[in-house]
Amino acid sequence: MPDIDIDAPGKTLLLMGNEAIARGALEAGIGFIASYPGTPSSEILPTLAGVAKRRGIYAEWSVNEMVAMMVATGASLGGVRAMATMKQNGTNVAMDFIATLTQRGLRGGGGLLLVNCDDPGQRNSPNEQDTRPVAKWLDIPLLEPGDFQEAKDMTKWLFDLSEELDTLCMLRCVAKISHTRGNVKLNELPEKEKKARFELDRLGRPVNPHAAVHEKLDKAQEKFELSPFNRYVGPDKADLLIITCGGSWLHSQEAVRLLKLEDKVGILKLGTLWPLPEKLVVQHLGKSQRILFVEETDPFVERSVMELAASLPPDSLRPIFYGKRSGHVPAYGELNPDSVIRAITKIMGLTYESRDADYSKKVEAAVKSDVVVRIGTLCPGCPHRASYWAIKNALKLDGRLGFATADNGCISAGLGPAGFYVAKTAYAMGSGAAVADGLGKLGQFGFDQPVLGGVGDSTFYHAGIPALLNAVWNKSNFTLIVYDNNATAMTGFQPHPGTGMTAMGDPAREVSIEAICRSMGVRVEICDPFDLEKTTETLLDVMKDEREGPRVVVMRRECELIRARREGPPYDVYVDTEKCLGDSCGCDRLCTRILRCPGLVWDEEAGKSKIDEIICSGCGLCADICPQGAIIREPVVTQEREIAEEIPGR
Amino acid sequence: MKELIKDPLNLIIIGVAGQGNVVTSQLVCDALVREGYLVTFGQSYPAQQRGGSVINYIRISKEIQCSPIIPEGRADVIVAMEPVEAMRMLAQFGNPDVITMVNPRPIQAIDITGSKAKYPGLNKVMEDIKDLSAKTWVINATEEAQELGNAIMANVILVGALVGCGLLPLERKSLEPVIEERFPRAFELNMAAFDRGVELAREQE
Amino acid sequence: MDVKVKGSKELFDEVINKGLCTLCGACAGACPYLVPYKGRIVLLDNCTLTEGQCYKYCPRTYTDMDAISQQVFGAPYSEDELGTTKEVLMVRSTDAGIREKAQYGGAVTTLVSLAMAEGIINSAILTRTTDDKTPKGFLARSKTAVLECAGSSYMACPVLESYNHVPEYSNHRLGIVAVPCQVLAVSKMKREPPQNRFDVNNIKLVIGLFCTWALSPDGFHQFLTENLNLPWVTKFDIPPPPANRFDAYTASGRMSFSLEQVRQFTMPTCAYCLDMTSEFADISIGSVEGTEGWNTVIIRTDTGAELMEMARVKAKLEIDKLPDENLAHLKEAALLKKKRALQEIIKKSGDEKNLLYLGLSQSLIDRLMV
Repeated sequence: MPDIDIDAPGKTLLLMGNEAIARGALEAGIGFIASYPGTPSSEILPTLAGVAKRRGIYAEWSVNEMVAMMVATGASLGGVRAMATMKQNGTNVAMDFIATLTQRGLRGGGGLLLVNCDDPGQRNSPNEQDTRPVAKWLDIPLLEPGDFQEAKDMTKWLFDLSEELDTLCMLRCVAKISHTRGNVKLNELPEKEKKARFELDRLGRPVNPHAAVHEKLDKAQEKFELSPFNRYVGPDKADLLIITCGGSWLHSQEAVRLLKLEDKVGILKLGTLWPLPEKLVVQHLGKSQRILFVEETDPFVERSVMELAASLPPDSLRPIFYGKRSGHVPAYGELNPDSVIRAITKIMGLTYESRDADYSKKVEAAVKSDVVVRIGTLCPGCPHRASYWAIKNALKLDGRLGFATADNGCISAGLGPAGFYVAKTAYAMGSGAAVADGLGKLGQFGFDQPVLGGVGDSTFYHAGIPALLNAVWNKSNFTLIVYDNNATAMTGFQPHPGTGMTAMGDPAREVSIEAICRSMGVRVEICDPFDLEKTTETLLDVMKDEREGPRVVVMRRECELIRARREGPPYDVYVDTEKCLGDSCGCDRLCTRILRCPGLVWDEEAGKSKIDEIICSGCGLCADICPQGAIIREPVVTQEREIAEEIPGR
Repeated sequence: MKELIKDPLNLIIIGVAGQGNVVTSQLVCDALVREGYLVTFGQSYPAQQRGGSVINYIRISKEIQCSPIIPEGRADVIVAMEPVEAMRMLAQFGNPDVITMVNPRPIQAIDITGSKAKYPGLNKVMEDIKDLSAKTWVINATEEAQELGNAIMANVILVGALVGCGLLPLERKSLEPVIEERFPRAFELNMAAFDRGVELAREQE
Repeated sequence: MDVKVKGSKELFDEVINKGLCTLCGACAGACPYLVPYKGRIVLLDNCTLTEGQCYKYCPRTYTDMDAISQQVFGAPYSEDELGTTKEVLMVRSTDAGIREKAQYGGAVTTLVSLAMAEGIINSAILTRTTDDKTPKGFLARSKTAVLECAGSSYMACPVLESYNHVPEYSNHRLGIVAVPCQVLAVSKMKREPPQNRFDVNNIKLVIGLFCTWALSPDGFHQFLTENLNLPWVTKFDIPPPPANRFDAYTASGRMSFSLEQVRQFTMPTCAYCLDMTSEFADISIGSVEGTEGWNTVIIRTDTGAELMEMARVKAKLEIDKLPDENLAHLKEAALLKKKRALQEIIKKSGDEKNLLYLGLSQSLIDRLMV
């Protein structure tokens, strides 16, 4: 794929929504972007970071989203067009700042955008959330792209709006637009000219901030009435009017096409969602007696329009509204063309067969025997598997019904079979530590179960530090486990303050986790999780430490996927079929049933376990688990060195 | 441009995470956009973490930008890097006219290694797939890729097979620039994989 | 009579969680999920097997004593207080070095070393105490190693866990020094040899120890740590009655505790054991009441007799007749233990007919209930 900053106006590229947003920012002359990794927003920053130096842009991963939003605001105040991008939970983290910011204005600075990517269906999030109401709540002009072209064009347009109104503007995108690729026609790139200045003389704080921001929204509304991002396709008088926005627009079009109702059903796609372009909406409401709202995930537009309709004069037409309130569209989860088909056919009393009924029966019968569920796991070679194995054993040996907590990221696997169910809770960033902190204060109520609070390394920098500080200051009794695989892995291996590199690829000082902990006076132990014996011993010792306050155990071993990019496997691993006794071992398939590494499988025919050479990463962990010593690991020697000896645990 | 056999054409490429099927899909889509098609290329990950299925939905049209998700029962072509995944897709998107292309190499799910379920017999699964498709192409992409030197070439072999079957409105020369761009240092190897795929498809005709 | 074998779940339900576990280590020796740790048997992962070696060889699951006796001696379980006996002797090692390091007369260490020197065995599962005086099972392969294991800590040690570490196809001829519950477990294994483990028929010598009770490795170790500088201790000793002491020797002398003090750390489960003299061993060895520095030895099998003869011929042991009075007291003590054990078992089960794990003939039960 050509570079995102290709100078080729009129050319069409296949871009994912996030790339299109990045391109839109480039076309708007962005100077500054700050972000924290969070699916589905993560690609926006690296797309810009990749061309940042030659475009004269600054791109940074911040330690968390609150900081990212603040940092971007700083740039905007300096007269540079700036953007902060984050997932829904990130916006939650930044919320207090956003609430204050909206009523302060930008002091005439550069345009400032918040790009918030939601995750309907919570495929990669601890909760499901529709963040659009933030715009209504905090008075922020809000746009939502309906396709990939709009993702680009809206981003570009929003910068102009933001500067014109001197206020933060918000683009909300859903995963299906962010991560789907479609055709995007490029426009011109501006000349690079950036001169930053903070104007000392401009008034910083209006007399009545809340009223002032309302005025800005009124101005926005006027513009929205004429915006090309709001489009109607369909008859002048329709049997049904669909009002839709975002990814649901494409689903709605598809549904109408499949049902062949183009001349009966009209679709009003709104792109400017808040403030609602009321005149436009009212005009379209007249097109049909029946209105169906299709959007993800909450009835945001639905309720705004209903409120609007309720305010109309009593003799106005009162259409019937269908949507989430009526139960025609689910108020949770991702939508798709079939969801819309179901709604339309129900309202209009039609039938639709997705495929031949006999075929459906045949395929259902086959599926019963043929299809297995694939549940999530940890990658082969993942150090968390080793950490969780040691933790599982240590907790059992300790015998006091201890448990772990988990946090966001790959370590959340601790809640399931891949992590041997040792973790019992996981909430938002930093909660792995802070919830454990709370439990650690229950000694006075007779609580005696050891708690191993867990955070990843990136999470430690994001939100773990204040949590640990609180525990130290308030003397909470628990062990903080920092699973340090030297990466923000789950979201795509982005760098963080411990990795020694910035978003733009420059070297950076590695900020040491243990130095931070020790500076608080905390006992810190550093373990290589693959040394199971030593790690288990350390955990047992730390859990028995009766001095007050928290202690820290850093499980340090580089993420296998990163290591594997540099060189081949450290060990050749295979099962010695003479030593492996299969079910007659009496071990009840300990290696596969309990360890569950994707690289170690059960060979039904041979009745023994077997390494899947294509999947196995050669970490050699399973060799330590097998009671017969039937799994053999042989060090791989290359260039006169053993790879295994040099795996970074720092 | 070569004609689409159907507009929109709904193509699904599915595999297990880590097999590189995103690469396959991207190659195809880039080539199609160059040829002037409107392409929507979406993904879905039914399992929440690593090790789960990856489904690529590729929708191709001359006129419309399609939704990222293919409606139920509306797949035209299903390319599966793994047999059970082919069945999974047929269950949701299959219909009597669907064409399937399968790489018959099973990959065990950890739910099986956890002893709860048995991996279904390969022969039965392949039979069922053939029964539920208008036509089935069996392409031993992984084996062939290993012969070429790297299992991950399976992707490109399947691209070749798709073109060789005439299911995509593309020719060898449509793919050359995109392969050159993505794999500049391994261009020859990838084109060899592509050509092998074309051959394998032609052998089955 | 073969009884229904069950799995780890029942092992915990019927034995471990019922306070019957003696920490012999047989279950851990059979299975990677079970590990002894600080005086408990810990299950690291859940096992779904409904029949397991852990249950089968546990000395506290149902045990038909007649069947075991048939296996070891070719005769039903002896009603004699000391079990099946060929000869009872009093011995001590002729090697001063052994006598200094070992317990009482040093007979165990001498016989194990001799068996090794003569090739009867080439390795032995013994108990070794670490620097901090935690006893651990140990596979000794040389005379030096055997000597290192001399001396007792008097704490329960899951020695049979080491069985798991003996390579399956090795050329080991194994000796085992064990307490009565462990000897019973080994006998159960010999009766129904385990699959896919070291061949139990390659155990060529079983030396059993006299045992009235064992001390809890967790509680008693704590007590020792609080009262002694453990790394400086060279030897522990409980001199035979009437001494009533527990001694700890260091370079500078001896520190003693009253037996009352020490007995509060007795494992409660020992109350349910009726075997004071390791009745299924080849040779059983203990102290001599009233006489320090000597061992009482009971020879039970041909293997035992041959080994003792070798020791005599090679002058490794000074051998004497055990005085009649000692023999009488020994029998009395052994009988008392049997009676008490039966009472405790019935108290625990709440039913005269329910002897928990014991399968005894009615005549023996009647005799003991008197």
